[in-house]
Amino acid sequence: MANDSKPFTEFQLDALREIGNIGAGNAATALSQMVGKRVDMSVTKVLVLPADAIAGFLGGIEKNVAAVHMPVYGEMLGIALIFFPLERLPELSAMLIGRKEEDPNNLSELGQSAIKELGSILTGSYLSALFRFINLQLIHGVPSLAIDMAQAILDTVLVELEQREEVAIVIETQFLEDDKQLTGSFFLLPEADSLKKFFAAFSKSLGLPSDG
Amino acid sequence: MAENDFVVGIAEIKTATDPGRLAAYGLGSCVAVTLYDRVKKIGGLAHIMLPSSRMHSQVSVPGKYADTAMIALFAGMKKEGADFTSVEAKLVGGANMFVSIAQQAVPIGMRNASAIREILREKGIRIKGEEVGGSQGRTMFFSLSDGKVEIRKLNQPNLVI
Repeated sequence: MANDSKPFTEFQLDALREIGNIGAGNAATALSQMVGKRVDMSVTKVLVLPADAIAGFLGGIEKNVAAVHMPVYGEMLGIALIFFPLERLPELSAMLIGRKEEDPNNLSELGQSAIKELGSILTGSYLSALFRFINLQLIHGVPSLAIDMAQAILDTVLVELEQREEVAIVIETQFLEDDKQLTGSFFLLPEADSLKKFFAAFSKSLGLPSDG
Repeated sequence: MAENDFVVGIAEIKTATDPGRLAAYGLGSCVAVTLYDRVKKIGGLAHIMLPSSRMHSQVSVPGKYADTAMIALFAGMKKEGADFTSVEAKLVGGANMFVSIAQQAVPIGMRNASAIREILREKGIRIKGEEVGGSQGRTMFFSLSDGKVEIRKLNQPNLVI
């Protein structure tokens, strides 16, 4: 694992940011169509995090977050997660369904499915942008939503991947609708073998030796 | 976090004696099992990820699997001087947080709990309390002075088992 989890170089992160920007552009188009008004999206952060740093990135182990979970299949196996800060769910629901849901712990069916749909749009857009770059076909399964402690969500996903050490590729996205700014963070957690495959394909696409 | 609190992370095992607490934060489908010798005030906690090591050729981290973790936990308790005739167990965690994962016949969290119960039964250790399953994550604190386990869940009052 040590070799796989070493940090990306600036060059690799720049490439990932570029992939993120393409994905965000596509997601913005899809989201604008879904909500019937213009929504802009941009990538604010791109990073590669070890599992034990993920909860810290999200605000702490017991920080309450909303997470949309999707299995990833195809030429790479893993889990995609989209995290939204819980306190911003009212604004997010207003943007998505035109009705502000005041209690983020008690979302309506419609509010929940809209957030899952947003997770699905973001994941689909990022996966297809990645696919085009690294030439590995990736698709995602049905989204489900949990609102809980960041660490409990991570714990569940690590169990699913049967790994304690894990590396997440993170693309933080900002949405702009009128004057409202909202963020969502896309996490791709590949299974161990798939992570090796990803690094090799990514390096090859960048013209780097595939072991680097 | 009090001074004598020890955090037991994913796939970790810890044994200790009174005073203090053993804590496991953010249990999702993992199960934390506590063992407590009420007479000698010796406690142990294992934060288990998966039900069995049998499907895995290499077991580099015994704490990951119920079978190997429980052996290590029993050994740790014995080393601290616990008398197994007065040891009792509690189980916390094993939630099923995402519907899409639940499409398996028996969710992994429940399989973790079943595997641990079976090992405890074989060892003749009584299960004193459980807070297992459901769809919510849990944080727990296990007191080494009385064996009580305090459980926190999002938007729920704290529980003690």
